[in-house]
Amino acid sequence: MQDDLWYRDAIFYELHVKAFADSDGDGIGDFRGLIGKLDHLVDLGVDCLWLLPMYPSPFRDDGYDISDYYNVHPSYGTVEDFRRFLAAAHERGLRVITEMVMNHTSDQHPWFQEARRGADSPRRDWYVWSDTDERYRGVRIIFVDTEMSNWAWDPVSKAYYWHRFFSHQPDLNFDNPTVREEMWNAMKFWLDMGVDGFRVDAVPYLIEREGTSCENLPETHEVLKFLRQRLDQHFPGRMLLAEANMWPEDVRPYFGNGDEFHMAFHFPIMPRMFMALRLEDRKPLVDIIQRTPPIPDTCQWGVFLRNHDELTLEMVTEDERSYMYDEYAVDRTARINLGIRRRLAPLLEGDRRRIELMNALLMSLPGSPIIYYGDEIGMGDNVFLGDRNGVRTPMQWNGGWNAGFSATDPERLYQPLISNPLYGYQAVNVESQRRNDSSLLNWMRRLIRVRKSTKVFSRGTIEFLNPANHRVLAYLRATEDEQVVVVNNLAGTAQAVELDLGRLAGALPIEMFGGSLFPRITERPYVLTLGPHAFYWFRLRWL
Amino acid sequence: MAERTLLPDDLVRQLIAVGQVDVLVGLPTYNNAATVARVVKAVHVGFAKHFPRARTLLLTSDGGSEDGTSDVVRSAALDESETLIVRHALRTIHRVTTTYHGIPGKRSAVRTLFTAAELLQAKAVAILDPDLTSITPDWVGQLLLPIYREQYDLAVPIYARHRFEAPLVTQLVRPLFRGAYGYRVREPVGGEFACSGRFLSYALKQSCWDNDEARNGIELWLTASALAGGLQVCQTHLGTRATAGGKVRPTLPDLFQQVLGPLFASLEANQAIWTSRTQAEEVATFGQPANPEGEEPMIEIGPMADACCNGVRDLGGILETILSADTLGAIRAASTAANPGVDFPDALWAATVYEFAAAYHRTTMNREHLVQALVPLYLGRTASFVESHATHDRMAVEQQLEALGLQYEQSKPYLVERWTSEGGR
Amino acid sequence: MAQMIGDALREAWINFLNGVVVFLPRMLAMLSIVVVGWLIAAVLAFAVRRILGWLKFNSLAARSGAADLLKKTDLPPADALAASLVFWLVWIGFLLSGVGTLGFTGMEMLVADFMHFIPQLLIAFVILIVGLVAANFAWRATLLAAVNAQLPSARLLSSAVRFLIVVLAVAMAMEQIAVAKTVVLTAFAIAFGAIMLGLAIAFGVGGSAVARKVLESYFPDRGKRDTGGVSHL
Repeated sequence: MQDDLWYRDAIFYELHVKAFADSDGDGIGDFRGLIGKLDHLVDLGVDCLWLLPMYPSPFRDDGYDISDYYNVHPSYGTVEDFRRFLAAAHERGLRVITEMVMNHTSDQHPWFQEARRGADSPRRDWYVWSDTDERYRGVRIIFVDTEMSNWAWDPVSKAYYWHRFFSHQPDLNFDNPTVREEMWNAMKFWLDMGVDGFRVDAVPYLIEREGTSCENLPETHEVLKFLRQRLDQHFPGRMLLAEANMWPEDVRPYFGNGDEFHMAFHFPIMPRMFMALRLEDRKPLVDIIQRTPPIPDTCQWGVFLRNHDELTLEMVTEDERSYMYDEYAVDRTARINLGIRRRLAPLLEGDRRRIELMNALLMSLPGSPIIYYGDEIGMGDNVFLGDRNGVRTPMQWNGGWNAGFSATDPERLYQPLISNPLYGYQAVNVESQRRNDSSLLNWMRRLIRVRKSTKVFSRGTIEFLNPANHRVLAYLRATEDEQVVVVNNLAGTAQAVELDLGRLAGALPIEMFGGSLFPRITERPYVLTLGPHAFYWFRLRWL
Repeated sequence: MAERTLLPDDLVRQLIAVGQVDVLVGLPTYNNAATVARVVKAVHVGFAKHFPRARTLLLTSDGGSEDGTSDVVRSAALDESETLIVRHALRTIHRVTTTYHGIPGKRSAVRTLFTAAELLQAKAVAILDPDLTSITPDWVGQLLLPIYREQYDLAVPIYARHRFEAPLVTQLVRPLFRGAYGYRVREPVGGEFACSGRFLSYALKQSCWDNDEARNGIELWLTASALAGGLQVCQTHLGTRATAGGKVRPTLPDLFQQVLGPLFASLEANQAIWTSRTQAEEVATFGQPANPEGEEPMIEIGPMADACCNGVRDLGGILETILSADTLGAIRAASTAANPGVDFPDALWAATVYEFAAAYHRTTMNREHLVQALVPLYLGRTASFVESHATHDRMAVEQQLEALGLQYEQSKPYLVERWTSEGGR
Repeated sequence: MAQMIGDALREAWINFLNGVVVFLPRMLAMLSIVVVGWLIAAVLAFAVRRILGWLKFNSLAARSGAADLLKKTDLPPADALAASLVFWLVWIGFLLSGVGTLGFTGMEMLVADFMHFIPQLLIAFVILIVGLVAANFAWRATLLAAVNAQLPSARLLSSAVRFLIVVLAVAMAMEQIAVAKTVVLTAFAIAFGAIMLGLAIAFGVGGSAVARKVLESYFPDRGKRDTGGVSHL
């Protein structure tokens, strides 16, 4: 039974099949290539892979525009290849979750093609149609940079169809029970194959109702409860992860009473980690965590530093957003929608100390951490590739031909490699970092190992110690039988801090990375000095 | 040696926690429990409004208040609607109170504030009067932005004044300062000012923290030493200044000791600089002038003129050792006329004040006595000015004050001559 | 007879000449002592002033508050005062030892008496000087305070204060040199009483208004405004 909660302790790793490894020389990564690289992930200490969409798709939204839920994109291989990949992963103790884009399909999907034929089409009400674009006025537009309206005119059937994202992504009509059944069938198809769960895209938008924001409606929760019930019934131990870019109190309903999602992303915590680091002030981070409501015991937050999208700044105030832009994206080309399209290392100016501190924060704050592929070696980005493609360039395996990603001609790669002298594959790659003990990759391995040496980070409570020095973020992570004190220096300068650890008096702090003993805690303020961006994890022992 | 004990240990611990700051506002408090909460709130709202991204600190340096001022500062809540902005601040809000060491008074308080601010590498520091009732959050921006953005070293205030408000400033301090130093600063003894980090380091090395003459009027000393040191000084419009009454206010002779004494002393300390300056220049000014708020005070000219006539009569012997025969003669003629008022023209007034300054320099008598001997003449001059312009509007009176300033500038060679002549030692 | 007279004259002359022969070197010695003493005193005074200058004696005096006192009493700066004190003490010492070398018997007594009297005289002199300076100071302070508090009869009041202090100083000086002790004491008592009576009458006649003003100037009303009903700053 314990194992059913595996996702609470797991380290996730997010990757694009197309970007990871190409086995057939067509310039696009595939499942067979991925199989060959699984050992890298095992070595890193990852527990679960999250695959970005691998379904057939016209690729107008990086695969989030699915045109067949029951197949694999031919560039990535076949369903059989996927099955083999799944077996290879499970053999190595790796779990796999895939994308499930329920809210919408591609306009190339046969369902939509059939639906648009006319008002009397049997699949007509699988989508949301209207004769006017006046319905649901006031619903916000998500892709403000590209879309003018949530309605698009279909010249074939002479009607408007509803889309919350791009106009080539018509929203499915979840008021229709047939659509729900069909969605479950699609999920069941993959679950039968052995997939360990789904990351469910764009969950707040499933149902539309006049006079509402058409987000987070009770009817939407009913759909989700229906799917969860089916999942628990047929596939215990599998997991659903919600993507809902909202304030934590608004995300909370998606956990239900433990009867909707197992996990949900904690979006607002991420920009605040970057903000706290830049401000050298723990306030934003402490504020957001204290604002986060408790969730059922069987649930878990998913936390991340970077992902395949832009560093989203939707869940911040106006002042905070402009601050983030000025500090992290002075170059306006790095900005997209309400966010910044950059990878972790370039955002932190390649500063190893800051990269380490941010990863250490990610690993020691509540939630299951999700690592974005390439960030474990500090890969760079290329904002000039358009949209968010700059953070989706091929994985850099070695300093050789095409960075070891593909044997094809460099011109044939689905996207050019990063080749600048600072972040290019000859400087930043898995092979050379594996050989260097002080590399970021090896440091990340050690970090993950330490994180996984205790359940206190994945299961424990968090309590902030609020030392007067606001540059120091300190907290106590505790389960019933373990306590860890984490002290982070957000500042780029050395700091002194006095921690009030009176109620832990008598405990012996042992630094978790090196095992060094520190002076015993007493009733008096515990004085620590921290170098620039330094952090300590102290396991407390009562000896 | 002095610096080793300048900062109390508990303050140092708090400063470690606060760390480097960009902007610091200091309040030199002493028994201000009734008013300080308002100032504290205004400062925090001002921080949020004008310095949303900066690292800020509100630091009070208390003189050992017995009315719980420090507790009021610590507990002043920021939960009202107009202060909601503060709760959305990007950064941790810091508010530190300390009790300064040293001789009681604003100077020691400011010294502690400056020392702490320099330690924290503050880029801009404002000192505010905790007794203010007219402060708005915009004062924080008005004072600090010229320092923070425009790289000035010292920002002194301009207050919106009624026609005949604060005659000690308009009739005496302002024109004398302007005439002697050659900078058209309107409020050399304002209660508020802001300065740069560079100025902190410069000011802390000056002698004014230890010498007796600068015990009062630290603002004036700082303004004068900034100008003397060639630092960039600017002025900023703050609007009406009002403070809470209710405290024992100094009598006029005491006020002269506290204001004019330091001004004369600063002239002496900086004589090498101002005596060689021949130009007078404008000082950069920020903000927009405002109309004064509140009721215009009524002035009774009669008692002032009487005080002058009696003073000139009774102090004859003393005035003879200070003033030149011509000047004293003119004053006697003006103050003994059958007319109940006194006619004290600009030129005579400038000569009188300059002769007093020179006599101060030559120490023709005990300096405290010398300063007090000017009181009746000042009352006469004020009565004369008010009487002549009683029917004019504010702008016209303003022009007259400008003319007075120009008169002082024109008469400066006379001051230099009296000052440097071998009339005494 | 003539022989006797001649002998006597010769003896007298010889005695006189002997005396002169004995006295002249003493005279010369005295003169040289006085001159050398003056030189030594001057050099010492100069040296003292220099050394005090090096030691920053004036700023030391300023910090101790002594300089302020000197400035208030219109005395020279502290180092000059110390130097002239050294000069006079040294030189008077030389002067008296010079006179001592002359060897007059009566003179010696007189010098001794004078030497005993000198300290008292000096003290009396100092008392008188300090008294006069203090009287002047108090007169000016009273006058300014009275004028600025707008008391009537400011001049009368301040003159009375000055006179009182002068009388007191003179009496103390006389007392010091012990000249007609009782007479001085009595005279002082009479003068003091007269002044106090005068003041009492003056204030009595001046009436309650004056008393009120005096009291007001010492206990200012909190809400009260300054002259002219205006806040000056």
